[in-house]
Amino acid sequence: MAASAPSSSAGDPDPNSTNLRPPSTTYDAWCGVAHGCTRKLGMKICGFLQKNNSLEEKSRIVSALKEQSSKNELENSERDARFRRTEVDFSNLFARDLLPAKNGEEPTMQFLLEVVEILTNYVRKTFDRSTKVLDFHHPHQLLEGMEGFNLELSDQPESLEQILVDCRDTLKYGVRTGHPRFFNQLSTGLDIIGLAGEWLTSTANTNMFTYEIAPVFVLMEQLTLKKMREMIGWPNGEGDGIFSPGGAISNMYSVMVARYKYFPEIKTKGMSAGPRLVLFTSEHSHYSITKAGAALGFGKENVILLRTDESIIQTHERPHKSEKVGIHTWVSQGNPHDLEAKIIDAKQKGYHPLFVNATGGTTVYGAFDPINEIADICEKYNLWLHVDGAWGGGLLMSRKHRHKLNGVERANSVTWNPHKMMGVPLQCSAILVREKGILAGCNSMCAGYLFQPDKQYDVTYDTGDKAIQCGRHVDIFKFWLMWKAKGTIGFEQHIDKCLELSEYLYNKIKNREGYEMVFQGEPQHTNVCFWYIPPGMRGMPEGDERRERLHKVAPKIKAMMMECGSTMVGYQPQGDKVNFFRMVISNHAATRSDIDFLIDEIERLGVDL
Amino acid sequence: MASHGFWSLGGQNAGNPNAGSQSPSTPRAWCQAAAQKFPGGLGSKLCALLNVGEEAVDKPVDTSTKQEEETPAETCGCNKPCNCSKATTGFSELYSTDLLPALDGDMKTMTFLQEVVDILLSYIVESFDRSTKVIDFHYPNELLQRNNWELSDEPESLDDILVSCRATLKYAIKTAHPRYFNQLSTGLDMVGLAADWLTSTANTNMFTYEVAPVFVLLEYVTLKKMREIIGWSDGRGDGIFSPGGAISNMYAMLLARFKMFPEVKEKGMSSIPKLAAFTSEHSHFSIKKGAAALGIGTESVICIKVDERGKMIPSDLEKKILEAKQKGLVPFFVSATAGTTVYGAFDPLIAISDICKKYDVWMHVDGAWGGSLLMSRKHRWKLNGVERANSMTWNPHKMMAVPLQCSALLVREEGLMQNCNQMHAVYLFQQDKHYDLGYDTGDKALQCGRHVDIFKLWLMWRAKGTIGFEAQIDKCLELSEYLYNKIKDREGYEMVFDGKPQHTNVCFWYLPPSLRYVEDKVEKQKRLHKVAPVIKARMMEYGTTMVSYQPQGDKVNFFRMVISNPAATFEDIDFLIEEIERLGQDL
Repeated sequence: MAASAPSSSAGDPDPNSTNLRPPSTTYDAWCGVAHGCTRKLGMKICGFLQKNNSLEEKSRIVSALKEQSSKNELENSERDARFRRTEVDFSNLFARDLLPAKNGEEPTMQFLLEVVEILTNYVRKTFDRSTKVLDFHHPHQLLEGMEGFNLELSDQPESLEQILVDCRDTLKYGVRTGHPRFFNQLSTGLDIIGLAGEWLTSTANTNMFTYEIAPVFVLMEQLTLKKMREMIGWPNGEGDGIFSPGGAISNMYSVMVARYKYFPEIKTKGMSAGPRLVLFTSEHSHYSITKAGAALGFGKENVILLRTDESIIQTHERPHKSEKVGIHTWVSQGNPHDLEAKIIDAKQKGYHPLFVNATGGTTVYGAFDPINEIADICEKYNLWLHVDGAWGGGLLMSRKHRHKLNGVERANSVTWNPHKMMGVPLQCSAILVREKGILAGCNSMCAGYLFQPDKQYDVTYDTGDKAIQCGRHVDIFKFWLMWKAKGTIGFEQHIDKCLELSEYLYNKIKNREGYEMVFQGEPQHTNVCFWYIPPGMRGMPEGDERRERLHKVAPKIKAMMMECGSTMVGYQPQGDKVNFFRMVISNHAATRSDIDFLIDEIERLGVDL
Repeated sequence: MASHGFWSLGGQNAGNPNAGSQSPSTPRAWCQAAAQKFPGGLGSKLCALLNVGEEAVDKPVDTSTKQEEETPAETCGCNKPCNCSKATTGFSELYSTDLLPALDGDMKTMTFLQEVVDILLSYIVESFDRSTKVIDFHYPNELLQRNNWELSDEPESLDDILVSCRATLKYAIKTAHPRYFNQLSTGLDMVGLAADWLTSTANTNMFTYEVAPVFVLLEYVTLKKMREIIGWSDGRGDGIFSPGGAISNMYAMLLARFKMFPEVKEKGMSSIPKLAAFTSEHSHFSIKKGAAALGIGTESVICIKVDERGKMIPSDLEKKILEAKQKGLVPFFVSATAGTTVYGAFDPLIAISDICKKYDVWMHVDGAWGGSLLMSRKHRWKLNGVERANSMTWNPHKMMAVPLQCSALLVREEGLMQNCNQMHAVYLFQQDKHYDLGYDTGDKALQCGRHVDIFKLWLMWRAKGTIGFEAQIDKCLELSEYLYNKIKDREGYEMVFDGKPQHTNVCFWYLPPSLRYVEDKVEKQKRLHKVAPVIKARMMEYGTTMVSYQPQGDKVNFFRMVISNPAATFEDIDFLIEEIERLGQDL
């Protein structure tokens, strides 16, 4: 097995389980090496690496040092492979034999190494284009049990052997979201550093509520949020923010904070204490704004959907094709802005306009709302401006593309999901707020059992009370580690490459026979929306019959893609437009050949429809 | 891909606008020099390690530079120019761009992941070792100096990344440590951990069957099982895994409101009368948080009195419901707590459900902490009446020791969640898919993307069986009984409430010898209030154990001991008591 090659060549494992303990960290091991070479220097370096450890720990390290220096030659051939996989019969082992069971170390290590072996094989295969993206089965097939893959839970335990089989089966019947040809969602790809970060996060298994129990992660979150605010362009990166479980919740935070800003008494007295509040967002924006409106007690009808320029042009049947045709903007030439008109309209009805959501990268078209123009209106009418950059926020990392978000620094809050365009493993979504302290004001309940004010450290690091969650998953580490490993320019390169690929796709199909673009002009984000017209339909006149047939093409092709597992791409209708493909690229594994493959595949599967 | 060329180019034009990249300049320069002088990349290895403490140690760097210069030949430890480099480095010249999907990134990726796993396995072994510290505590400012945590424009080598991983774990709390008692979620289950690693590797999203076929079905199967255990007939009903108990409780409130006033979804709170929710004064703060978020308002959450053991008093509930009605409020939601956060008390569910039925109010059971007792034949009677609830929060990541996060909201009525939350987004929930759409569960969530929290629970259940969870829970309760019996009559201890605790929460004051005979009550309380924080701070400084404290109502700071860690034993309880006495005797 290539995965274990460097270590497995190193001879037999030490059967003595005490060998599992020291050297427990690499700096111990390294100190040993240093000690072996130049005694004085080695000690010195170890000394200051250890500066802050307790006496007890020091003595432990000294003994580790001694042990190490005596085993020095061995070290060279053994590498640091302290944990090596050996053949173990798991059929007689059960969960109760693992740590914290007595003598549980060896079985635990072997079990985890076996799992890692399964996972690394999966990772390797995921990047291999000859592997299927998915091995599709219908729900009832899986529920009935596929080749012994039984989902049922029972009273009695299964052996670890069976648990390993379960792991393999789970991966077998899953979807390989890291596959270079998986284009189905906005979050695709599998970043190895991010993956390592997630594994570490699971192992650390802690919670974000207080500095007390997540000191490092809390600091990382603060540093990273500050960095993100700097990228947005808020002076000195000042402001507030939090990582939340997904963009929908981040957007919900923005609405809550806006409401608290203008009507703080609603926190205690409820919505009936304020006037009838209305929210504005475009009809192409993400449904989470409306969802938030419903959940937070505004009501769906008080979320006013703004027309996009495209629909305005359609309804007014303007022949004139400006540069902005197809792009998501609210400007309708000659008329007052649709937003402004609707604000005035709402005011006349006696409602109170509160909040405007501008989307930086819509889900389907990938369009960027003109933030500066919207900000002007928000300033004029004193409204909260939120930018939903869940999908497009990543472009701030690119010097070439960040102009698409010009004006974002004027927003009061921004949603930005590194788990989308930046390839961070799921989930990683941030809500950033320009005004400091307002998140805490909005959400704090001052629970005595968590946020004791008489702790010995600076309790401003106890950030838990500004969340609507109590326990909060550690979503920061993978992102922080990736940023470390790639640098800002690494993210930039990733983003530029994805946009280049989508441009390639756009140029490839815009004049190709059998393709029709859903909107004209080069896409702003990596979304390329198009219809594929099978040969049998190409001569058909415009009309309902053609529309009906075209509507069925994408679902059929998609179903076939899934059945053969060759690739996956999203489709949907939008407004009065029948089903079309929405291609998006956020996977850093994708190349031009994968784009070519996708087109070939669509044509192969759709040719006889 | 010419990665190095790209990176160095980026370095020239990046221009360091941020403060973070200034600080390491001295050690960096030295590192570069060292790396050139020394064979086999040892220099860079050294640098990587120095990096951990670089800002705290400018001076030694200079001296060691001199030392290094004197003895360059011996550094590798083999007494000859050797090939150790292959063994010790490799990562210092590699960057993330060399890993998959890079061409021939295969081996490098595998070696890198193996190295990471090595670090993690060491950490796991250490975590279970009682001779290691629970925490290596540093104040925030200190910790900031301990490593280069700053993010910069330039990439760091994989070696640096590994150093960061080690540093992160070094300063992390060992939540798996047998003497970590600080939170309701403690311990580290090995099968759960393996499952979480798999979840990260599968890296998918719960919204549709399309992208998470297996996980969606596992959620379906597991929720059904949980509903069966609650006692709803045939396990029917609905449910979802949510990001934590607070959100689960918020869901319940959302559903209760929608059930009574479905028009609220369209028209908002201004279209309906003023609501009132009821929960005990010992309940979790998330009920109020939920009310604030949903536009109901915290003042509409009416707190019900509890008895001396922390249980809701049903007669007071009825009284308050009537009072609210008289004021013109509409009672819509009662949240009974099964296992309160501090006392571990179980509200009398049957009596409460009678009242809810009488006044036609939604009954929710917040069993985030205590719900798991349903898995134990010995203890599940504490939740008698739960089957009469309309909804229940149950966090397997607490008492069942599933890795964080894993919280479920279970609802008795089918289809309500869907109606309450769905928005029919066509880009995700296309109606013309080729499979049974009943499994596209995403639209009933408040979230859009949803993390896969199910696999770890499902796999642990497979590995332990129901009886495995039962044994684990019974053991924790046995330990807390042991603790209770140990201290209830011990000198220097006072119990916060009388009687055997119902859950694993044991709440007590420790009175240092100097306080035991203080007559003046006010003075005594004042001093007692400061005891627990000082002992806790000392515990953290020593890193020997961690246990929580808080005030409650008019009661001054007391310790709240909870046991959910399957690794804890009787000796660890003894240790805790000895440690409290050792650290507190001079106060």
